[in-house]
Amino acid sequence: MAETAGNKTARLFAELHEGEVDLAQHYRRVAERQAADHGTHYPCRSLAQQCDEHAARVRELAPRYGEHLAPPRRSERLDAAVGAVRQKASERAGTRPDAGLLLLRDLRELFLAAQGVHLDWVLLGQVAQAARDEELLADVSKLHAQTLSQVRWIETRVKSAAPQALVAD
Amino acid sequence: MTSRVTDVWGERTPYGPGDPWPERVDQHLTVDAARVERWVPSACVLCSNGCGMDVAVADGRVVGVRGRAEDRVNRGRLGPKGLYGWQANHSADRLTRPLVRVDGELRPADWDAAMAVVVERSRAVLDEHGPLSMAFYTSGQLFAEEYYAQALIARGGIGTPHLDGNTRLCTATSEWALVESFGSDGGPGSYEDVDLCDTLFVVGHNPAETQTVQWARMLDRLHGVARPRLIVVDPRVTATARQADVHLRLKPGTNVALLNALLHELIRADRIDHAFVRDHTVGFEELRETVAPYTPEKAEEICGVPAEQVREAARILGDAERLVSTVLQGVYQSHQATAAAVQVNNVNLVRGMIGRPGCTVFQMNGQPTAQNTREAGANGTMPGFRNWQNDTHMAELARLWNVEPSRIPHWAPPTHVMEMFRYIETGSIRFLWVTATNPAVSLPELRRIRRIVREAGLFLVVSDAFLTETAQLADVVLPAALWAEKTGCFTNADRTVHLSEKAVEPPGEARSDFDVLLDYARRMDLRDRDGGPLITWERPEDAWRDFTEMTRGRPCDQSALTYDTLRGSGGVQWPVTEEAPEGTARLYTDHHFPTHPEHVEDYGHDIVGGAQYDADTYRAHDAAGRAFLKAAPYQPPHEPVDDDYPLQLTTGRTVHHFHTRTKTARSPELQEAAPEMWIELTPQDAEPHGIADGDLVRVYSRRGELSAPAVLRGNRPGVVFAPFHYGYWDEAEPGRHIRAANELTRTEWDPVSKQPLFKQTAVRIEKVADARDVAPGRY
Repeated sequence: MAETAGNKTARLFAELHEGEVDLAQHYRRVAERQAADHGTHYPCRSLAQQCDEHAARVRELAPRYGEHLAPPRRSERLDAAVGAVRQKASERAGTRPDAGLLLLRDLRELFLAAQGVHLDWVLLGQVAQAARDEELLADVSKLHAQTLSQVRWIETRVKSAAPQALVAD
Repeated sequence: MTSRVTDVWGERTPYGPGDPWPERVDQHLTVDAARVERWVPSACVLCSNGCGMDVAVADGRVVGVRGRAEDRVNRGRLGPKGLYGWQANHSADRLTRPLVRVDGELRPADWDAAMAVVVERSRAVLDEHGPLSMAFYTSGQLFAEEYYAQALIARGGIGTPHLDGNTRLCTATSEWALVESFGSDGGPGSYEDVDLCDTLFVVGHNPAETQTVQWARMLDRLHGVARPRLIVVDPRVTATARQADVHLRLKPGTNVALLNALLHELIRADRIDHAFVRDHTVGFEELRETVAPYTPEKAEEICGVPAEQVREAARILGDAERLVSTVLQGVYQSHQATAAAVQVNNVNLVRGMIGRPGCTVFQMNGQPTAQNTREAGANGTMPGFRNWQNDTHMAELARLWNVEPSRIPHWAPPTHVMEMFRYIETGSIRFLWVTATNPAVSLPELRRIRRIVREAGLFLVVSDAFLTETAQLADVVLPAALWAEKTGCFTNADRTVHLSEKAVEPPGEARSDFDVLLDYARRMDLRDRDGGPLITWERPEDAWRDFTEMTRGRPCDQSALTYDTLRGSGGVQWPVTEEAPEGTARLYTDHHFPTHPEHVEDYGHDIVGGAQYDADTYRAHDAAGRAFLKAAPYQPPHEPVDDDYPLQLTTGRTVHHFHTRTKTARSPELQEAAPEMWIELTPQDAEPHGIADGDLVRVYSRRGELSAPAVLRGNRPGVVFAPFHYGYWDEAEPGRHIRAANELTRTEWDPVSKQPLFKQTAVRIEKVADARDVAPGRY
């Protein structure tokens, strides 16, 4: 059955994989930029990890639909450089009065990226149902629910941060 | 009489299951009993247990205390802090006049002048920057009437969401664990369940030091016939753990993995009350799936607890017929706090052990009046356990306060204190009023806190009885009356309400926080929507009447509870209504939980990541009066130990002190018992550094350092313990910041309860000097 789903599904796996990998990086970048905003920094680090796990599971599932995906390459040197940036960002952003606006901008971009991944999970869920692939459907349901929780977390964070960023001065 | 400083729990009075806990009256008088003019009924405010006590008065002064034999909480007993701590009221360094900062110095002023400064700055900040620039940080030490005044002023008068209590640091997770599982705050059990249980499951809780009278009760059961079995979860070998049948000495931060393994074993051995789970809970299938991978071997790998011990603990839990579980800071202040606390609820729920005699879970409180901070809405929830996302609830509150619903900020949950400090840091909160707490010692990462307060251009008002480390940073300091110098009510973790009546006058010009808050409201000219004064009360009893009316119909309904009922009572447990005028021993006896969408206190969260659910999502999974079994996988902590910082710091309490020693260090017996900071190490961790007992050591984290003598104890290797009580006010060189444990801790909080993680910091140690080379008091 898997073969009959063909290249189109394979491409969906590739897109979803890329989406999760990018979203993980996106969370990491926001975590770095928001090092002084601890209510954003730590959750973003957790969510980056969750996206890594999603991507890994997508790599495990994809070969059944004819797609072989390579894990993203991350260099240690790059990670170290990123760590240094995080330190600097933390010091710089710590007391800036526009920190709230920068936070909202970061969260807005994250929200859009996470929505894209959410939609890819919707698509894969439809595939799993139409292909009557119960195993895939079980995975999709679980991981999709986590992506929806991510979207909800971003919304939660936006709602509490927005008034102080936009109304207070 | 032997000193109760050393004989902490007093003489044993063993008893068997179902017998009443025998009376034992403890008393400490500093004058001849014949000189006592009157005994004024009250309750103790130096831990969360809420022991009933009478205050002895002679010549207008408190001269001693005596436990109330007829009180349901303590049956006459008092712990060391209760017996000796009241002497702080007489301390020579009580604040007796307001202080106002002039040319960088705090100088005495009269009340009129000090309040004029506070009001002038409030008005200026409000006019220029609006209510979001105003913040209030209160306590777990005041009375219900004071919290309610504070909530009404901040939420209904000023209209700011920035009101929180230091209860955020001690009991926020208790509150949220109850909300997430049962739909509402409010401890379901009764302390009498300790009398009836056959199994005690004590998780991250050291009652032997933090609730000594509660521990005396447990100890009396453990020494009596039909001894209950005791399971203790704690990385440290505490006095509580030494009594355990099974002590699970886990790695800090791994509570969820361990609890998941226990749930896994209960399910595997089919020790599940299937009928209860089916009829009274939702979420069992997801819980089963989530805990499926957590075998005892997996727990051993993550938590460092032998698999066989996990099995043994699960067997005891599975065999229990009457299970009492208790939870405190080892869960609340650790990694995945709410998720872990909820798993303890889950143990009782899947065993069907809740709402019945001898069967309950206590999500304990850290402070004596923390429950009231929560009920009054002076912390991160709305008054009367109302749901900020429920417009009907908010309209009801607005009607009670006679303000427009839009006046009460409810576009998001009320701001928690860690976020408030972030807003101060970025400059958008410009006015902060701190009552009865000491964030300059009790918040995490103190260097950051000091920097924020110093640099942000904040106007800081502090109400306290003493010139605390926080008060020293203030622009205005207001001298506060203490317990026994004012009247009000407070409630403990089993919902027992006591009335504490004014026994003596406060010293000098000190005033009760209640009077000061009312004065502020008057001077600020806070008005309701008809143009009348927002607050019309004169005495605490007026506020109590409105407060209890505000709880009508809510889970914490106290609408029939009056001062007259409380006066001289042995403590009354809410709900107290016309149908239940004597109070209510246990909640959920019909196994119906307050999870109905119209009734629930909060629509809840994803307990793993902290995403807030909205009304639609909640309704889509309507639990319809059933409890939630919320599952959570273990997640590794964000700051694991590594080569640079190989040890795990956990901070905590000691039996002789409370909070930042503001009162206990001013009680001679308590101060003498624990005068100095120390660092607890295991011999295994000390040995490679050549550290012996008493040697001076230094502890470093990524955020700071501290220095103190080492005490070697047989805790879990890799774990360093530091008491959090010690600050700088009684230091010879208060500017040297190497004494407070929170110099080391870090700024992270639980995603649901927003309680900071005090028990999760990577550190390293080094030896500074041999014990014999260290002069006392010079570290």
